[in-house]
Amino acid sequence: MNKTQKKHLRAGAHAAHVALQIRSVARDLMVYETPSKKSPGMVPHVEFNFNERLRPHIETLYGAAGYRSLLSRALVQADAEVPWLRRMHMKSDGSLDGFEAAKAKLGSEEILEGKVALLSQLLGSLVAYVGPGLARRLVSEVWPKIPLGSLDSDRRSAG
Amino acid sequence: MRKRDKTADLPGPKAAAAKANRVEIRRLPTGVRGLDDILGGGILEFSFNLIAGAPGCGKTTMAHQIAFANGTPRRPALYFTFLGEPAPKMMRYQQQYSYFEEAKVGRSVRFFNLSDVALKRDLNAVLGEIIAQVKEANAGLVVIDSFRTLARKATGERCDVEVQSFVYRLSQFLTTWEATTFLVGEYVEDEIRDDSLFTMVDGIFWLSQVSERNSVVRKLQIMKLRGQESVPGLHTIRIGEDGLQAFSRTLGLTGKRTKPARRRYLSTGVPDLDTMLGGGIFEGDSLLVAGPSGTGKSALATQFIAEGLKRGEPGIMAIFEERPDGYTRRAATFGLKLKQAERKGTLETLYLRPLDLSVDETMQEILDAIRRVGAKRLVIDSLVGFEMALAPGFRADFRESLYRMIGALTGAGITILSTVEVEDTFTGLPFSHYAISFLTDDIIRFRYVEIDGQLRKVMVVIKKRGGNHSKDIREYVITNKGIVLIHPRRTDYVGLTTGIPQRTGPRAAQGNEKAPEPKADT
Repeated sequence: MNKTQKKHLRAGAHAAHVALQIRSVARDLMVYETPSKKSPGMVPHVEFNFNERLRPHIETLYGAAGYRSLLSRALVQADAEVPWLRRMHMKSDGSLDGFEAAKAKLGSEEILEGKVALLSQLLGSLVAYVGPGLARRLVSEVWPKIPLGSLDSDRRSAG
Repeated sequence: MRKRDKTADLPGPKAAAAKANRVEIRRLPTGVRGLDDILGGGILEFSFNLIAGAPGCGKTTMAHQIAFANGTPRRPALYFTFLGEPAPKMMRYQQQYSYFEEAKVGRSVRFFNLSDVALKRDLNAVLGEIIAQVKEANAGLVVIDSFRTLARKATGERCDVEVQSFVYRLSQFLTTWEATTFLVGEYVEDEIRDDSLFTMVDGIFWLSQVSERNSVVRKLQIMKLRGQESVPGLHTIRIGEDGLQAFSRTLGLTGKRTKPARRRYLSTGVPDLDTMLGGGIFEGDSLLVAGPSGTGKSALATQFIAEGLKRGEPGIMAIFEERPDGYTRRAATFGLKLKQAERKGTLETLYLRPLDLSVDETMQEILDAIRRVGAKRLVIDSLVGFEMALAPGFRADFRESLYRMIGALTGAGITILSTVEVEDTFTGLPFSHYAISFLTDDIIRFRYVEIDGQLRKVMVVIKKRGGNHSKDIREYVITNKGIVLIHPRRTDYVGLTTGIPQRTGPRAAQGNEKAPEPKADT
């Protein structure tokens, strides 16, 4: 294996590591916003609409059109791993339609996975574009009480 | 033009009272190295300014630096973007520079993308949005980037009045809210005359790119500045890892102290040369050593610096031709330990050979090094190399800039030895290719002469400002002690300055020089 191949391999491993960290943050956020379990072993439905919480903050920077294109990319990326997301569609104001219909058909675990996948892709785009530090700052404006250290961890490992 | 202080005509107490009644305007730092000097101290607080120029000149970077230098959590800087470069894109690129403090984003520096408001609504709505955000955040500084795009969108370039009205109301609001404002826009020089914006703003920071042959250099001009005197002219700017840096034409050297009335002699490191100079070089003088290649100009420069180090005078060697290790090696053969001084921090060797530098940037490097080590002696070896290291467009400015730097440094008591390579013509005795002798207080000329079938070296002191000097032409050699003068003046030759002197006296008895060893057995 030559130097370039090794470099690509390292970069690939690093990207996978970052993706895992971002997914972990997305899951933490979703869990934070999910009401506590009513009975052991039962996962409640995630009512939390992360899109509506994040949208005004991200739009401040990206503008409405910018946010829509960010979300549409996240949706395309996420539905490759969670097929039911294909039934979602984005309205002209940037809100998402289709969660209610999905909830009627799917279990709470599947809904949670879908939302985590979509939020991960959205956060991933932010991290890729403005870097983990600024992405973390942006997310912490929305969820100031949640520790988001893991979004920064790729910087430490990269450094 | 310097504004005349009318209170100067008033008697003492009245002048003081008049001054006390004036509003005191605070100067804000720009966060751009060198720019505060150019502005005469900084940005005037609550002023309404325009950063203008063609794309790619560094307008957005400058605006960011100003925002990051001044934004605080209590009085944040608000950065509004419109239709041009979106905020995330700016942040992506601007965070590559060291001034970009991530921790300030969202608190001390806040970004707002108002493209949608501008696209879907009108300038009134944009103004309303800006006013709302400024009020809510209690902003101390506001940037609107790109104002030009916003103005174009608003009027379709049909009518100036709507934009004028917008600027007027924006300026009025922001000034009363005690915010300093920067509009950023792409303009070309032809627009200055017809666009009322240029009349309305308090300050115009004009950025441009100047190309000459293969090199392109960014320039800054403070085209207008109400209430403050700025350094006139075009200043070089460069975008590096710290963001934008400006190089004032005065190199920030105005107002430095002048030479003391009574100055001491400094040794050149060559005792007999000191005698020829009437005791040495005056402290704070500029000495030019001119001569052809191989005559020992760099050797003398090394001895000059080493002598200073021996006497506790830190030094800088700015070298443009020879490599630094060549210098230290030569010094070592003379028994001079330059490496030790470098380690101690009393000597810095600057090896400057980039081919795209502006003269002001190069001089800034030298000035920075002088400040770092507290240098008392400076060597510039050589002026020809210095000139060659500059971008072609700056070579015309070389003498002017050199004059400013040498004048300012010697004025501050730093003694300078510069070398310049000249060809021996054998018909004359030129000091240099350039008319730079006006820069120097003292001139020493080295040259080759043909004597008794050998090409020997002689030196003569041509000029010493403010002091007498020997008129002798002295022969010298370069030994393991450096330059050593070996003979008193030659009285048995005439025409030494031509390089081909005529013998007038009897030939002294002399042994034959050993023939050189053969290079290889053949």
